[in-house]
Amino acid sequence: MKRNLFKAVCLALVAILFLASLTGCGSTGTTDSSDKKEADPRKGVLKVAMGLGEEEWKVMKENVFPEFEKKYGVKVEPIQMEAGDTVKKLEAMHQAGQMDIDLITQDNMQLAQLVDKGLVEDLTSYKDMIPDAVIPSLIPVGEFNGKLYFMPYRPNVEIAFYNEKKFNEYGLKPPTNWDELLQVAKTFKEKEGIGKVVVKMNLGPDSTCHMFDFIRSAGGDPTVLNDEGSIRAFTFLKEIYPYLSPESKKADWNTPNQYLATESAYLVQNWPFTSVVVVKDGGKKEIKAYHGWAGPVKESHVLGGEVIGIPKGAPNKEMAVKFMEFLMSKEVQEILTSKLGWPSMRTDAYGKVEEWQKPYFEAVSEALKHAEPRPNLTYWADVDKAINGALREIVLEGKEVKPTLDKYHEMIEKAKQAAGGK
Amino acid sequence: MRGRDFSGKISDSLYLPVTLIAAIAMVIPVYILFKVSVSAPGEILTAHPSFLIKDFTLEHWVKVLKSGNLKAPFVKSFTVATLTTVAAVLIASPAAYVIARMPRKIKYPLVLSLFLTRMFPEVGIALPISVQFIKMNLIDTYTGLVLAHLILNLPFAAWILVGTFETIPKDLEEAAMVDGAGKIESLIKVITPLALPGIAVAAIFVWLNSWNEFTYALYLTVSQRTLPLQTYYYVVRGGWFDAATYATILTIPVMVVTFFLQRYMKGGYLSGAVKG
Repeated sequence: MKRNLFKAVCLALVAILFLASLTGCGSTGTTDSSDKKEADPRKGVLKVAMGLGEEEWKVMKENVFPEFEKKYGVKVEPIQMEAGDTVKKLEAMHQAGQMDIDLITQDNMQLAQLVDKGLVEDLTSYKDMIPDAVIPSLIPVGEFNGKLYFMPYRPNVEIAFYNEKKFNEYGLKPPTNWDELLQVAKTFKEKEGIGKVVVKMNLGPDSTCHMFDFIRSAGGDPTVLNDEGSIRAFTFLKEIYPYLSPESKKADWNTPNQYLATESAYLVQNWPFTSVVVVKDGGKKEIKAYHGWAGPVKESHVLGGEVIGIPKGAPNKEMAVKFMEFLMSKEVQEILTSKLGWPSMRTDAYGKVEEWQKPYFEAVSEALKHAEPRPNLTYWADVDKAINGALREIVLEGKEVKPTLDKYHEMIEKAKQAAGGK
Repeated sequence: MRGRDFSGKISDSLYLPVTLIAAIAMVIPVYILFKVSVSAPGEILTAHPSFLIKDFTLEHWVKVLKSGNLKAPFVKSFTVATLTTVAAVLIASPAAYVIARMPRKIKYPLVLSLFLTRMFPEVGIALPISVQFIKMNLIDTYTGLVLAHLILNLPFAAWILVGTFETIPKDLEEAAMVDGAGKIESLIKVITPLALPGIAVAAIFVWLNSWNEFTYALYLTVSQRTLPLQTYYYVVRGGWFDAATYATILTIPVMVVTFFLQRYMKGGYLSGAVKG
């Protein structure tokens, strides 16, 4: 009996030891947050969260961070954080009262939630830090209700990618206006029996972006939605829809790469990273790019890209502010242009991009001339819903243009009034 | 009798084709994953990719293995999955044994209550749980992730093991005790060996769940990524070949662990255990 009892005690001890070792094998040592603050394990470390590819991180680690580290005697710790995950992660840290990130760079299409949830610092007092040479349209992107929450960092814009081989095969030229776009779409449908032009109609943020381009280039205002320009845009979309690729309904920011690579689309507007994925890594050299097409009034592209923010409660805010200024400097902007082919936020920063990247860089630079920021509205979610609702009913379901747009205009107006007109 | 012969014949003749179809349906996606990881881009990025590998290359594997980004996520995922499995089996086994021996009226409400934490969608409870874990400095730690994975897996492990212990006749314990064994000794020497197949099933289940877990890993990871997070990174970045290579690597330990643990899954282990 004694032996059995001994065995049982041993077994219990092993279990307790195992569980104790589990609680002790974490990489962070203390459990008391006040102890943590006193010991300050983060002193001299600046945690910077960005959503970058491997090549981009390499440039940051080899060409950007070392200069700052040398100048200020800090270690920059890079953290990979996708734009879509930033809100979740910052929210968890914020609610726990333990912000672990000092600075973020974030997709400018995903800023509203960060501001709404109070996850980022008000940077209005640092507005003077923005260099005079900045492209002026980049500043409003970071402003909400008159306050500056984000600093300009990296402008970006969608460009049109096309399969040069297929265009040549059918004697087509990349379309520069709506009439040509319709003609190209019709030709592909006629020759191949299936549409090969993709317009993003996934009824999400990606299709909103494309609808903005169409409405604005017809002289309309997407936040009004029933003006003359909007009516022209939706009438055109209804006309071209039967000739578009069926992939249009699934197209987001990522899937066009696959469509171009597998030739289920020959023409689609997407973000410039497509050139890296499809041309550089995928070896599809026949995929070329240009700035895109104009509407009946003008050419317009939604201004995308990334901005800099400082999470609320960032442990090293002062150093983060210095790093923010460093990222906007001419020196860093030129490195980013030369090494990564990113267009600069400054008008005085020039860089020589790699040979293969030149045509795509030129397309982006040209499209940026026609780029317009998306308005930062507190009722943005309603605008987004209204635009996609109109797209679904008019284009996908074939309903009448004017009455449908009137209905969604009312929806936006109600949201605007509820938000106090801001 | 004739009807039984007929259905027996049908099941005999269909057994192999149905098994084959099921096996093929399960293997093909893994094969395609593997094919993408060892094919030249030109072979995959076409309108009609071939089914068989025609332009074989190890370029993507070499790139992933040389990148230095594989070892740390692999070690983290493997360690967390293994620790979660050991902890789940150690905690759930005795609990399940006790529940299995309880009267029916108490047993079933208790088993149902185990699933209370599983009644809410994971994404809904992940944030508040993660907030508590961050407050406890468990972010970016193995401990945090193991504990989070236990939340998911303990109820299932206990449920599987309750079913296992229920099938082991109480008479066996009593017979062992008549032969001089104590309660603990009969549990360790008689019951546990008989419960091994159930324990193996629970272990495989917990290990696979933990190995593939994504939501908690995303919330509780800042810099030390797990392998699913690493794969997600390449999927999001549009790197088809890197993503396929990582996903293939993700499946290798699954096969090894499943192969190792399935040795314990034997049928008929109780036949003739207690003579009348």
